[in-house]
Formats: sequence, structure tokens, C-alpha cells
Amino acid sequence: MAHIIGNFFIALRQVYKGTKGYYVWVGSLLLLVLLGVSAYLDQVNRGLIVTAMRDQVSWGFYISNFTFLVGVAAAAVLLVIPAYLYNFKPIKEIVLFGELLAITAITMCILFIMVDMGQPLRVWHILPIIGAMHFPASLLAWDVVVLNGYLAINTVVAFYVLYRLSIGKEYKMSVIGPLILLSIPWAVSIHTVTAFLYNGLSARPYWNASILAPRFLASAFCSGPALMLILFQIIRKLSEVEIDNRAIFKIAELIAYAMGLNLFFLGAEVFKEFYSGSIHSFPIQYLYFGLHGKTALVPWIWFATGANITAFFLFLFPKTRQNFTTLNMACVLVICGVYIEKGMGLVIPGFVPDTLGEIYEYSPSKPEVLVAVGIWAAGALLYTMLLKFAIPIYTGKLRFGIKREGIIAKNIMSKRVLSVTPETPVEEVSKLLISKNISGVPVVDKENKVIGVISESDIIFNEMRREPQLAEKVGDLVMPNMKGDERGPGVHAGDIMTSPAVTADEDTHLKELHRLIMQKKIKRVIVVNEAGHPLGVVSRADILRVLGS
Amino acid sequence: MKKTREMKREIDINRRTFLKGAAAGLAGAMLPLDKADASFWEAFFQKHFVEMNDAEKQKVIQRLEKEYEQKYKKAIKVGLEKPIPGVLFGYGLDLSRCIGCRRCEYACVDENNQSKDPQIHWITVLRFKKGEKWVDLEESEKYYNPPLVPEPDYFYMPVQCQQCENPPCVRSCPTQATWKEPDGIVVVDYNWCIGCRYCMAACPYGARRFNWGEPGRKSEEINPNTHYLGNRPRYKGVVEKCTFCIQRTRNGRYPACVEACPVGARKFGNLLDPDSEIRYAIEHKRVFRLKEDLNTNPKFYYFFAYGV
Repeated sequence: MAHIIGNFFIALRQVYKGTKGYYVWVGSLLLLVLLGVSAYLDQVNRGLIVTAMRDQVSWGFYISNFTFLVGVAAAAVLLVIPAYLYNFKPIKEIVLFGELLAITAITMCILFIMVDMGQPLRVWHILPIIGAMHFPASLLAWDVVVLNGYLAINTVVAFYVLYRLSIGKEYKMSVIGPLILLSIPWAVSIHTVTAFLYNGLSARPYWNASILAPRFLASAFCSGPALMLILFQIIRKLSEVEIDNRAIFKIAELIAYAMGLNLFFLGAEVFKEFYSGSIHSFPIQYLYFGLHGKTALVPWIWFATGANITAFFLFLFPKTRQNFTTLNMACVLVICGVYIEKGMGLVIPGFVPDTLGEIYEYSPSKPEVLVAVGIWAAGALLYTMLLKFAIPIYTGKLRFGIKREGIIAKNIMSKRVLSVTPETPVEEVSKLLISKNISGVPVVDKENKVIGVISESDIIFNEMRREPQLAEKVGDLVMPNMKGDERGPGVHAGDIMTSPAVTADEDTHLKELHRLIMQKKIKRVIVVNEAGHPLGVVSRADILRVLGS
Repeated sequence: MKKTREMKREIDINRRTFLKGAAAGLAGAMLPLDKADASFWEAFFQKHFVEMNDAEKQKVIQRLEKEYEQKYKKAIKVGLEKPIPGVLFGYGLDLSRCIGCRRCEYACVDENNQSKDPQIHWITVLRFKKGEKWVDLEESEKYYNPPLVPEPDYFYMPVQCQQCENPPCVRSCPTQATWKEPDGIVVVDYNWCIGCRYCMAACPYGARRFNWGEPGRKSEEINPNTHYLGNRPRYKGVVEKCTFCIQRTRNGRYPACVEACPVGARKFGNLLDPDSEIRYAIEHKRVFRLKEDLNTNPKFYYFFAYGV
């Protein structure tokens, strides 16, 4: 177990290595996160009054984003089914990135809920046992269960698959199969429960329609995969990950069907509301046409409707979905369309007109937007980190176990940097070696630069000089790099050290270290920094320890 | 692998200190510094009201009374009066009498320690034009402001918590921070509410109010006779609502709105007592309840005592 954790941290180290562009990207995201955090701290201080929400419209931009992101998370299932159940190879190769996106989206969902809470420190009240979770009566309690469950399932599946990959093995379906199977209905459940959260409220006729859950799922299977398509192209461009075009086109085709269904459900809803024309149709009237001259959402929803219909046709025709220009256009349209339709377009009309008929026009305040931007940036950051972690393992650059290309000198060296100077008497060196239970130390000059190594073999050989016959017999075995000069007692380290020392830098791979030790018939490699100062020692024992673990 | 273990320990420690720091930072930001003392943690770990025994409740009351006294510089009594056995409160509102003066609305604010800045009212009086369809609440006006009431062409309908027997707000609350008491009053534990506002989405009567900002009310405006589940001072970020003046009615008094009504349009009593005024109204007048199609079963009855 310990080595799994160790390897995990080795892999984790990848997240702070990257090109200049990478640092710029991460830096700007961090900046946006900070901006969001400071807006949030102000909200905590002054209360949710800094938002535009009021008693009439008591949920707004935060919950809209939450709803959209539950859909993105649920959409991972659209990859899971063809990948694991139908073994469609091109998608199987990328399902991992979908699962990582699901993890990210759920994390963002949880953040959006947290920032919407009036008393975030009391969040534990919602937990079972230590809190007073109102299960099964409250749909919000259900949502807590299914969202956290989904987060757990995806985390376990993704990290298990990564673990198996990292040791160069296929994952075992016998281990992970049941979880993957479970993840399929679970993905459906997170979005269904979120729809029911609204759906179950008889006070809000706009939400109280049984088409809501099907609509939620259909639109989720458009926006989530569309987001993935864009991300896959970026991943393909910036890393060595190969993503088969067939996977991309297959997903685009699935989006076309999902969008077809989504538009059909929407049409069914629009027909029922407008044709029957009861007072329960006021919210949808407000949304599409405005009510009593209040029209805040009208341009948005028509843009969304237009975007969704256009995207539907772009995804539907093989010619446009297999052309990356039109494909990407369709993806962007669908993401925007669904973001509006089931974000603000779903949440706000539930409250307008309110239950006593008042029309309060809501549009998010600046702090609300800043907090939301901060959460989106945090999500982008998390996904970047997850990819940075996963991609080297995925592409085979990072392997643990039999093939250990991933291990570098830094990870395995002994960091006790003891050293001696050329002037140190040999007797003292012997004492040091014995007392510290080591077999050799680097010899450094006045500037702490490694100039040689002195080992027990050097010392023993020096002793043997006094008995030349014995030396001849064993010399080659014990000390291949022996020097010709005869030395007596009272000599110093500099006189008998092996020089120059065989050195390597911190990033030298295990394989190279191994090669050096074998080829040069030495017992240790001194790890030095650019200035030549000793940082540590990789001994044969260190290498054996890694190979044996 | 000792090294990786050490590495792990180090990271764990770092994470722990970080989390601790973050929690403290968040806590610090939630409360002004002078309050971040022991009583903060006592409040933080306070149990759910229903799960506390009498001694624990007493301790909480002492803490609250101390806190309120520090804040408002006067003694505030926080009561724990229990429901009276054999009592189920019901309310009647005679629409034929209501003149839309909103005295009930302001008497309620005086009594129940709502925030005045920002303003929170538990009662909403709606104005309708006579002759218009009025099941359609969207045709009503909440911000009417004539020099004199009643206006000849209009009628008025006050709305407040309907104290449903089948309350959608209670069902929706994810933490059981709101519940129906045995005497029929739907209450909120302001120390348990997480401020998610799902109950506000669930309420068909717009009866629930949220403390969007720090409740603002001058010390001299504070009514010192309070109840834990009713009109004690609230916090930023929690939901509140009409409790039929639980601090009065559990002591045998009328709700403030009933007392304030200048035309006697408001009736209140025990639904289980056949001789009560409310039972008389229900049995002898043409009563209806708001949004009866939703099956919330309100204990708030509208009626017309005489035709207009």
C-alpha cells in the first residue's frame, strides 16, 4: 500500500511541471479563483444580500449553474456505455477523460451549492447520524446522497484504472465491472433526482411537469458530450494522447439523437402550456414572451432555442459533424443553448411570477457572477490537474512496477549528504563509514564540489597494498578502478579516492542509473546539482529496494 | 519506502494544518472577531432542537439570552413553552371586513422582531380590483399605496403562513430544521437551518422569508418576550416565518395581528374546541382555503361574514 501512495505522489508531481504556457494557464485560473474567493468572502460577511436573489426569486445564478453541471457530470455515462458495455475501442480509450470530467463537474456542483447556502458552516446538519438528514422525504437529501455517491464511484473507477495502467496492466473487469455497471443507472439517477427536486414542488407549476426529468437527461446528453468533444480536441493537441476521430464523430452522432429528443420534449411542453393556456402557463409566457412588459429572459431563451435547433442540424448531418469547423461551432452552440435553457431558463421562471403573483425580474449581481467565475476557474484548474496527473500514466510515460522508467534518482537516493575533503585522513573516513553504516562517501573540494568518491573498497585495497600477492588475487573483484601507486599508512582521502566520481543529476531515470552502475562496475552514483554539489547517493541497495518493492 | 511514508506524513500534516487554517479562516469570516469565542463553538455544535433534553435546552437558552443581552444591551427572555395538549390552532380571516390597512402587517413586525433593515414582513396584503378574476394572484397588487383605505373599487386579501397540516416546506427541508408542532404550528429552528431555501421554493403561499443580510433592528425596538421557535432575534442566512405568535398563543393570548385588526376581520382559536370562535366561523360561514387544489390542507380559513 505504501508504495502505491508513494507512486501516487510521484505521479502527482507532474502537476507542477509544464511549459510556460501551462504556467500562464494555471496562473490565470488561480487569479480568477482568488477573485471568486474574495467575492465569496464578502458575501459571507455581508450575507446573500450581495446577490440579486430575494424572497420572490430565492434561487438564482448559483443554482442555475449547479443544475447545468449535474447534467455535464451525468453525461459521462454516454461514454461509459459504448466503452465498457459495447467495447467500442475508440471510445474505450478516452472514457477515462469523461470520468475525470464527471469528477470535476460534481465537485463544481458541490461548490455551487455551498456558496448558495446561508449558513455554510452548518453543512454537517445535512449528513446522516451526526446531522439530521431528512431522508427520504426531502429530495435535497436524495441529491446529497446521489451526487456524493456518483463522485465516489467515478473517483474509484478512474483511479483504479489509472493505477492498473501505471503498473502496466489491464484493469480487471471482475473488480471494476460491478462499479461501472452501477455508474450507469447512477448517472441517470443524479439528473433524475435533480429534476425531481424541482419537479416535486406543486407550488411551482413551471417545474411541476413530469416531462422535466426526461428533458433534463436529454439536454444533459447534449451539453456534456459537446463539452467533452471540445476538451478532447484540446487534449489531443496539447498532449501525446491520441484520440481517434471515430470516437469524436460517434459522440457527435449521439449528441444529434439526444438533441432531437430534447427538442421533442421541449415541443411537448410548449404545446401543453400554450395550447391549454391555463394560469399555470404564465411562467413559460414570461420566459418566451415576457409578462406585463417584463422581458428579462426573452432574448436569452430565443437565442438558446435558435442555438439548440441549429446545433441539432449540424450534429445530424454527417457532413457537418465530420467537419471540425462546423462540429466545433455546433458544440459551442449546444453548450450555450443548454446552459441558458436549463440554467437560468429553468430556475428563474419557476419563481416568476412568484406564488403570490409578483413579478420580480432577476439578473445576477456582480458578486454572484464573480463567485460563479471563480468556481468555473476552480473547475478548470481541477480538470487540468487531473489531466496532468493522468495523461503521463495514460500515455505510458509514467510506469511503476517492472518497467520503472518513471522513477528518477531524486525519488530513490539516500539524502544523507555526508562528504569528506581530500585532506581527511583515511582512518577518519573508515570511522565515518562504520559509524554511519555506509559503504562510501563523496569527496568534495573547498567549494563543496564533488571531485571523487571514497569507498570501503578503496580503503581495503589500500591496506592490501601491503600484501601485494593477495592484492593481485582479489583486486579485480573488489576494486576494479584500483590505482597503481603504492601507499602506506597515514594517507588522506584525496590520495586513494576514485576520481572523477560517477555523477548523475536528480532527474536521471532509474534505467540510466542502473546502466551506469553495471557498465562502470561501481557501487554508487553520486547525485549532484548543476553546481556539482552533492545532493545524495544512489547505491546498488537503493536500486534493489525499488526493484523489490 | 520509508521515505514515501515520511513524505505522506508531511503532506498529511500540511493538509491538516491547511484545513484547520481554512476552517478557522472561514469561521472568522462568518463571525465578527469578538464573537469567535467559546460560545461560537457551543453554537456550532448545538444539537437539533428535538433531540435535546430539557437540561440541554436550558443551557442553550442561557447562552442565547446572554448573547442577545450583549448584542441588544437589554434582557431578552427566550421561552420554551410547550404545545398545550388538546389544542390545534386555526385562523380565520373575514375578507368581507378587511379594509387593507396593513395594521396587522406592522403589528406583526413590532411583535416578532423581524429585521427592519432590510425589511422583513411575514404578512403580505394583496389588493384586487373588484370584478376581475382573482384566483389569478398575478393580477393582485402588493405595493398599493393610496392615501386612504378602503378604496371603493378594490378588495384586500392578507396572506401569511397558512400553517398547513400537510406542509410542503417541512417535507422539503433537507435537515429537518422546520417541522410541524403538535399544536399545528410550523416552526423553524434558526440554529439548525442551513439557509438552502428549498422550503421557500416549496411553499405555495410565499410565506417564508430569508435573512439575506444581517438582521437590523434597534435595541429599543426589540420585543423582549420571545420564544425559541418564534420571535427571538434571528441570524443572517436563515429562513423565518409566521408562527401564529407562538410566544403569545401558547400563553393563552391572541396573535398580534388578531389584536391589531381594527375591523375584527381576524379570528383565532382552537380547532379542537367546538365552542371556539374559529369553529363557529368554519361551521356557519362559507369558508375556503387558499390553493386548495394543492392539498396542503391549510389551517387558515378565508370566509365572507356578509356580502359586499
